[in-house]
Amino acid sequence: MSLIDDFLARWHEYRRPGYYEEFDYHWTMTVDLDRCTGCEACVTACQAENNTPIVGEDAIARGRHMQWMRIERYWEGEYPDVKLRAIPMFCQHCDAAPCETVCPVSATYHNQDGLNAQIYNRCIGTRSCAVYCPYEVRYFNYNNHHWDEPLDQQLNPDVSVREKGVMEKCTFCIQRIRQAKDAAKDDGRRRVQDGEVQPACVQTCPTEALVFGDRKDPDSAVSQMLGNERAYTVLEELNTDPSVVYLKKVDADAA
Amino acid sequence: MGVSIVPTLRVLKPVGMIAGVGFVGLLVGYFANAAFFPGTTPVQPIEFSHTVHAGDYEIPCLYCHTQARRSPSAGVPSVNKCMGCHAIVATDSPLIREVARHYENDEPIPWIKVHDLPDFVHFPHNRHVAAGLECQECHGPVETMDRVTRMAPNEMGQCLTCHKDMEVEHGIDCLTCHK
Ligand code: SF4
Repeated sequence: MSLIDDFLARWHEYRRPGYYEEFDYHWTMTVDLDRCTGCEACVTACQAENNTPIVGEDAIARGRHMQWMRIERYWEGEYPDVKLRAIPMFCQHCDAAPCETVCPVSATYHNQDGLNAQIYNRCIGTRSCAVYCPYEVRYFNYNNHHWDEPLDQQLNPDVSVREKGVMEKCTFCIQRIRQAKDAAKDDGRRRVQDGEVQPACVQTCPTEALVFGDRKDPDSAVSQMLGNERAYTVLEELNTDPSVVYLKKVDADAA
Repeated sequence: MGVSIVPTLRVLKPVGMIAGVGFVGLLVGYFANAAFFPGTTPVQPIEFSHTVHAGDYEIPCLYCHTQARRSPSAGVPSVNKCMGCHAIVATDSPLIREVARHYENDEPIPWIKVHDLPDFVHFPHNRHVAAGLECQECHGPVETMDRVTRMAPNEMGQCLTCHKDMEVEHGIDCLTCHK
């Protein structure tokens, strides 16, 4: 009977979305759609930083493209009065992530920093997570990839090169976060300061549409953005509680 | 009427032969592999002896492997570092003359890496040195080795055990080491 008692006593704990009482850091990104021009500089930066392969024409024709970050493009209105809407889309690091519940080997899980981790060594390639992801931001390695000379020389040594049969996705540039944390510890400081970590996309964005930081620090740039009345999360109705917050585009012509 | 075991044995004979040949093959393969691929104790291009340097003369590890204190990679000392002493010490030994030749030709010595972690592991030497870990805890008693042998199994269990024992903050989170 104690098993049932135990279960009932911990009912609320089991029902809590996510595994943590409190995150250590809560890494968050905001995307200001009013600033984003859809230039795709962030996409390129991401591809270079994270050793994302160029899959080639055939693979793309079969829907096997790999880009941890992509710009979704929408046209609004009729020609000649058309408007371009560009929305950068990448892993939303949901705090109640559907992909995490479905992985049979826990290769994707939530870590104490509010990050949705993807462990390539543990992944067995069932692709269930990609099916469950409402944002379609998980990419599967259908093949081993190679980098022609001299492109192999530009591979980032801080990021592993993934093999055939594993799932991959945006990590919020975990290698940079880790480096900043190591540096903070080396300095004897306890916490990473605001502005010390910048994922490749944030660093590259020419219009500073992307802002990255720790939500738990009330003075961080990202916390300031969260208070903005334009803030929303994509597919809010699914209750995934994403860590990426978008700021609505301001339309001059709108009523 | 007794039941003879002989027909059963006759059926099993080929199985036994296959198993025998397989076993012999395994033994030969094991020793041949160890002979041709001395993975854990590679023969270095110059027979550098840690026994002499770190053992007898008690030169601290970090005197030569100075990068271990500052960078994720422990690094191998440059030929310049060797010549710092050997410009005056034991200059007529054939091994030192070999080192001097590399120095004069501006060539690095092609040392063979003994402890080679897989590429998907992030192991910052500087953090571990800062935490007060002795090099020997992972690398074994290098100061007694003439030819360095890989002592660490380079397996995840070793990292996890230590991270648990030392109560490293979030030490067993996958992303602490995996990249
Ligand atoms: S780099 Fe900045 S402006 Fe360009 S597409 Fe990315 S988010 Fe938009």
